[in-house]
Amino acid sequence: MMELYAAKFPLLSAILVTCIAGLLLILGIPGEKKSAVKWVSAACSGITLIFSLIVFGTYDKGVGGVQFVESIEWVPSLGITYLNGVDGFSVPMILLTGIVFFTGVLTMWELDTRVKAFFSLFILLVTGVFGMFMALDLFFIFVWYDVSLFPMYLLILIWGSTKREYGALKLMLYLLAGSALILPAMLYLIEASGQNSFSLPVLVQFAEFSPVEQKLAFLMFFVGFGILAGIWPFHTWSPVGHVAAPTSVSMLHAGVLMKIGAFGIIRVGIFLCPEGWAYWAPLMATLATIGIVYGALAGLGQTDLKYVIGYSSVSHMGIVGLGLSTLSVDGLNGAVFQMFAHGVMTALLFSSVGYIYDRTHTKEIAELGGLAHTMPTASAYFIIAAMAGIGVPCMASFWAELMVFIAAFKVYPIRAVIAVSALIISALFILRVVEKTFFGPARPQYEALSDVTFGLGIPRMILAAVIMVFGLMPFLMVDTIQTASSILLGGMP
Amino acid sequence: MMNWMLFSPELFTLGIAAIYLILSLMPSHDRRYDGLVLILVGIGVVICIAGLNQSGELFAGTYRVDLFSQYVKLMIYAGFAIIVGLCRHFSGVAEKHRSEVYLLLSLCTLALMMLVSAIHLLPLFIALETSSYSLYILVFLRSGYKRSVETSLKYFFFGATASALMLFGFALLYISCHSFYLVDLGRLLSHQLSDPLTQTGFILALSGLLFKLAVVPFHFWAPDVYEGAAHPVATYIATVSKVAAIAVMVRLLALCGSGGTYLIVFLTAISLLSMTLGNLSALVQDDLKRLLAYSSVAHAGYILIGLLSMNSMGWTSTIFYGLSILIMKLTAFTAVILVSQNGKNLRVSELAGLHQHAPALSLALMMALFGLAGIPPTIGFTAKLLIFKAALQNGFMALVIFAMINVVISLYYYLKVLKAAYYMPSENEAPLYKESVSVKLFSYLMIVLMILGGIYPQKIIAIAAAMMGGGV
Repeated sequence: MMELYAAKFPLLSAILVTCIAGLLLILGIPGEKKSAVKWVSAACSGITLIFSLIVFGTYDKGVGGVQFVESIEWVPSLGITYLNGVDGFSVPMILLTGIVFFTGVLTMWELDTRVKAFFSLFILLVTGVFGMFMALDLFFIFVWYDVSLFPMYLLILIWGSTKREYGALKLMLYLLAGSALILPAMLYLIEASGQNSFSLPVLVQFAEFSPVEQKLAFLMFFVGFGILAGIWPFHTWSPVGHVAAPTSVSMLHAGVLMKIGAFGIIRVGIFLCPEGWAYWAPLMATLATIGIVYGALAGLGQTDLKYVIGYSSVSHMGIVGLGLSTLSVDGLNGAVFQMFAHGVMTALLFSSVGYIYDRTHTKEIAELGGLAHTMPTASAYFIIAAMAGIGVPCMASFWAELMVFIAAFKVYPIRAVIAVSALIISALFILRVVEKTFFGPARPQYEALSDVTFGLGIPRMILAAVIMVFGLMPFLMVDTIQTASSILLGGMP
Repeated sequence: MMNWMLFSPELFTLGIAAIYLILSLMPSHDRRYDGLVLILVGIGVVICIAGLNQSGELFAGTYRVDLFSQYVKLMIYAGFAIIVGLCRHFSGVAEKHRSEVYLLLSLCTLALMMLVSAIHLLPLFIALETSSYSLYILVFLRSGYKRSVETSLKYFFFGATASALMLFGFALLYISCHSFYLVDLGRLLSHQLSDPLTQTGFILALSGLLFKLAVVPFHFWAPDVYEGAAHPVATYIATVSKVAAIAVMVRLLALCGSGGTYLIVFLTAISLLSMTLGNLSALVQDDLKRLLAYSSVAHAGYILIGLLSMNSMGWTSTIFYGLSILIMKLTAFTAVILVSQNGKNLRVSELAGLHQHAPALSLALMMALFGLAGIPPTIGFTAKLLIFKAALQNGFMALVIFAMINVVISLYYYLKVLKAAYYMPSENEAPLYKESVSVKLFSYLMIVLMILGGIYPQKIIAIAAAMMGGGV
């Protein structure tokens, strides 16, 4: 099921090494030299973006399987291997992380307090995310998973805004509770396999788990990773965390971190326990549908701009969950595509809101209004992202949602109808926000505010461009994902 | 003809003790003595390293020098050396008593070294008592603390009770096995553990060690003693003496083969109690040392999980855990010692602003806290992973899940400390503490050790496995 193709050049490790080198370099720079820190971060993120573009571009869709594989014996006595590789599921995620990392660093260009600490933690977090997406060994999957979580606490606590102490603590405890479920399940499966190996390909190929083991383990993985993926009813940390976090951390958080959760469900849960997946799929579909509806309804009632986006994330991640629960190639393609599309889209949303908040110092929708008069460009970015969120055709998420719903209609018609109708609500609340924030009469207190300059606009332009490119040419992404999902489901009953 | 070379690290430590016995008779303490002890202990570490591969028996087969004992001795000595190095900063002890502190610390270290080499119950008991008595006095030597008499008496009474129980256990074991030699016990215990008398004897015999580890219900002394002892002494109790106790627990439990049912049930029960009680009590602590004391109680619970697995993976992982505790707790206590220069106890909130004046130290503290909470990529995570893996080999899934829940609970109070050090604004303008170059280097060393042990544990696991390879 997992064909491995060795890498000619250790491209994946190069990404990690770039991140770690950038981190060490920043730690070596004195704290007063803020611009040096920023330039090093930008260079580091730029290089990783180039590497991830190369990974995306040179992944051979004709061959499929797991490519760019690097393998080093790590702890032979326990069967831990340093095993990296990407397949159709992780290639889009690597690209997503590269994009959000680069644009995130550029978005924080105006940061002035404790710059060095911010960027070191930020890079550490991204290192964990990259590692998680490329690791194929359960030990490293778990290590990278947690490395991507713990910097969040300090990032939100120190640079955050609304209710940051509460938000940071809640987020941390929830996510750690998730790993408290994941680790025992992983170790149990490793013991039960009798293979003395942490390596995922080995376990997938040789281990045979009984149906009961698969069902229990899948449930633990689903809940454990699902907390991070914002699956209802474990989502409550996520809007609070989004709101409390500083702009680029929200971007990473909603854009990439929540995808780690969904990706973990695929990589660990579905790959190791396919029967458990099939067994719990109806429950996943139900929870996902509730999440979609709940996120949309809750979003409707929010007065804080960031809360709106936070709840729309819950709703959109529900679509990912729905796609995963269909047990079909289309559903999986749609789910992974949605992970990518939502990542880019939310990053743009948070990036635009961050810009507006930095100028107006408020996120209250009621206090904003008429911003399109003074900041036409900033408004345009937000509106582009909002349109993508609604699922307007020619935007990347349109295709993703379309694929998920087509697959869902075949398997769970009623739940699919409910979910699709919820999308209308979400269109309603997003349009309401757009109207109240950007249109209407210009407010005098915002008249002096400057619009997005070209330099500050670069990250937003990149994100908007990515949404459009994959909206117009969805096959670029779907063909890649297809290589993995068709193989995965080829082995299914 | 005895081979005295085998005994050289112990003899050298005895020499240090003798020197400081003489120096303590001098009318006043000279600052140069502090430098002298550092040099002497440094030589001691070198002697320990040189003696790593020695093996043999001494004193009519009651004292064994092997890979196991030598590596544990190195750990003990390294911890001792670091604490002595930190002693240059301490002021929790009156100036005139400093020679006595060095005397007692080296005596205690000597006793702990003998403890891990003893393979006969009598020297084992004598070594344990010698180390305990040194500590009773050391706890008393705190200056400027009102309740030091109360604290040391409390410590003494609990300790004496535990020792009495332990002796009683030895007596019961002698009734059923007719020998004090661990080798004989090992031969007989694996068959006889179903016998209630043997089993009771064995469990009671562990009590002295459970006391040292601060396992519930032998933990009552821990918070008061950590709080009441001078900082370096509390550090010593939290690190070095724990490592020795863990090693002897491994040595004794490895005698039992797969272990009797009651023994495992007993260990499971106290492990669950220790974790839960330790973590829940730590949640509400304000005093940093009390918090660390309860965290020690919780960690004793995790350690017991490794021990009660009763398999080779379990022994390896427990030794690994011992090392991780040594490193992480030393780092956390270093922050305590250095920040509270005046020797007063430190509230958690008093760490505020640490990251501004001591970035390296606070980074090390952060890694230590994450390690204690069991978050990767630190050595604390890998230690927990190994322990859980060992427990799952015997199918203790429920225990592992329970332990993970505890890990989540414990995260709350570790984050509280972290928040104080990194986020809360400093209360007063004057810098808390300005770090010197040596402290910076030491912090970086500890950070590297914690991360390296976390992501590349291969070497340590191999050594720990080799330590257990020689058998008891």
